[in-house]
Amino acid sequence: MSGETVKRKSFLFVDDDAGFLTGVQELFSEMSGGRWDVSAAGNHAQALAMLAKFRVDVVVLDIGMPVMDGIQFLNLLGRTYPNQRVVMLSGLATEENRKTCLESGAALFLEKPVTPDGFAAVFAALDALAGARSQGGFRGMMRRVGLPEVLQMECLGRKSSVLEVFTGKVRGRIVICDGAIVHAESGSLRGEVALYGLLALRGGEFNLLPFAEPPLRTIQGQWESLLMEAARLTDEGQRLIEPEESGTPETKTVEPGMSDFAALPGGEVRIEEVVLCSGAGEVLHEWESKSLELRLRLLEQIEQQAAELSGMASVGRFDRLEILTPEGRIVCQVQPDRRLFVRSGGTPTLPA
Amino acid sequence: MKQDIEEFLSRRMPLPGVAAWGARLADRTVLSHCYSDWFSTEQVEQTLGRLALSADGLGYHGIQPVRLCWVFEHARIHLALRGDGVYLALFTENRPGVTNARLEGVLDEFARLAAG
Repeated sequence: MSGETVKRKSFLFVDDDAGFLTGVQELFSEMSGGRWDVSAAGNHAQALAMLAKFRVDVVVLDIGMPVMDGIQFLNLLGRTYPNQRVVMLSGLATEENRKTCLESGAALFLEKPVTPDGFAAVFAALDALAGARSQGGFRGMMRRVGLPEVLQMECLGRKSSVLEVFTGKVRGRIVICDGAIVHAESGSLRGEVALYGLLALRGGEFNLLPFAEPPLRTIQGQWESLLMEAARLTDEGQRLIEPEESGTPETKTVEPGMSDFAALPGGEVRIEEVVLCSGAGEVLHEWESKSLELRLRLLEQIEQQAAELSGMASVGRFDRLEILTPEGRIVCQVQPDRRLFVRSGGTPTLPA
Repeated sequence: MKQDIEEFLSRRMPLPGVAAWGARLADRTVLSHCYSDWFSTEQVEQTLGRLALSADGLGYHGIQPVRLCWVFEHARIHLALRGDGVYLALFTENRPGVTNARLEGVLDEFARLAAG
């Protein structure tokens, strides 16, 4: 008599094609030799009702469904059941769909099979995924707990982990090693700039994953100082790499204390141009720049002029130059690790 | 003009956190006053000259400033530019609360002060 019990694997297929659902239920049950429990739902509402009653190892979603498509449902599942493994199975296997689904948390993106070999390949992938041990770490949302708090917790505990952060359009990660923040990346940004950008996000989700050594350690310094600097930048309203997230001009209401000029009774402010460079002058992000060369030259000149001014009087290190024009406002920030040009328009109140 | 500026500032200064001011008239005459030993008159006037050059140079970049604020670790230097060529620089401490409505008011009023 064998004492071993083969663990059953459970799947929920969600597809508006009733014929496909019947087919995969029969085929995969048979292929698994009875080891698979295959459930089927014709739409997201049925799927949610089923998930409320029982949990499955893997949800397999079609993309092209009416009312709520698979990508939207994937996002909903991510919020409702953060630990649920989801595989996208679609006849619309475009690169854009693949990227969107994987960035939204899908474990796999597979093309809908049409041949026996294709079904066998999908079966093998799903079987392996359902049998894989859960990845260590937590997954959660950060609307009620800020990233700084999570980082602080990791650093205080002298832990090593990777904090993966993602919103609808931004994906980044922060690497912590023995309680020190050693690396951050967000889009094309690396290092402290990426860290500050991620810490300025106002909502999103995170995964706290086991430590993995980054290709390059881009951050040095005490985590307390880094978090304080991030808080300072956020407090000053300098969430200025966010146009990368939105991709469109952002409208913000000027709040008192945001800057010297924002203290003026202004109306709405629209970010119209952004240039972000590394400390070495390498362009990291450019958005709607009228003349990149001219902007880079301006930042260089400001750096030189600031150095001259610092030499003339004991004013300390330079942070930024704020310029008010009849059209709006410009901020030029020059720091050892970054140079930033931001032009915003709107309705600042100007001297008569 | 010189009297106007001096009278204007003497009625409004000193303000909390303002360490010095300097003004450059259209004929390049420079006026200044220091409220502490943080800055000397010479430093204020030399800095004002550099600030004015920098502000004028922004035109090359297609920027026509009416106000500038150079933010340093310990100090902020505000520069208000008038169309008649008169510039006013206020040297303030860089600490919370120093950039306040009264300071903004002085800079606004300066901009509105009639030439002549």
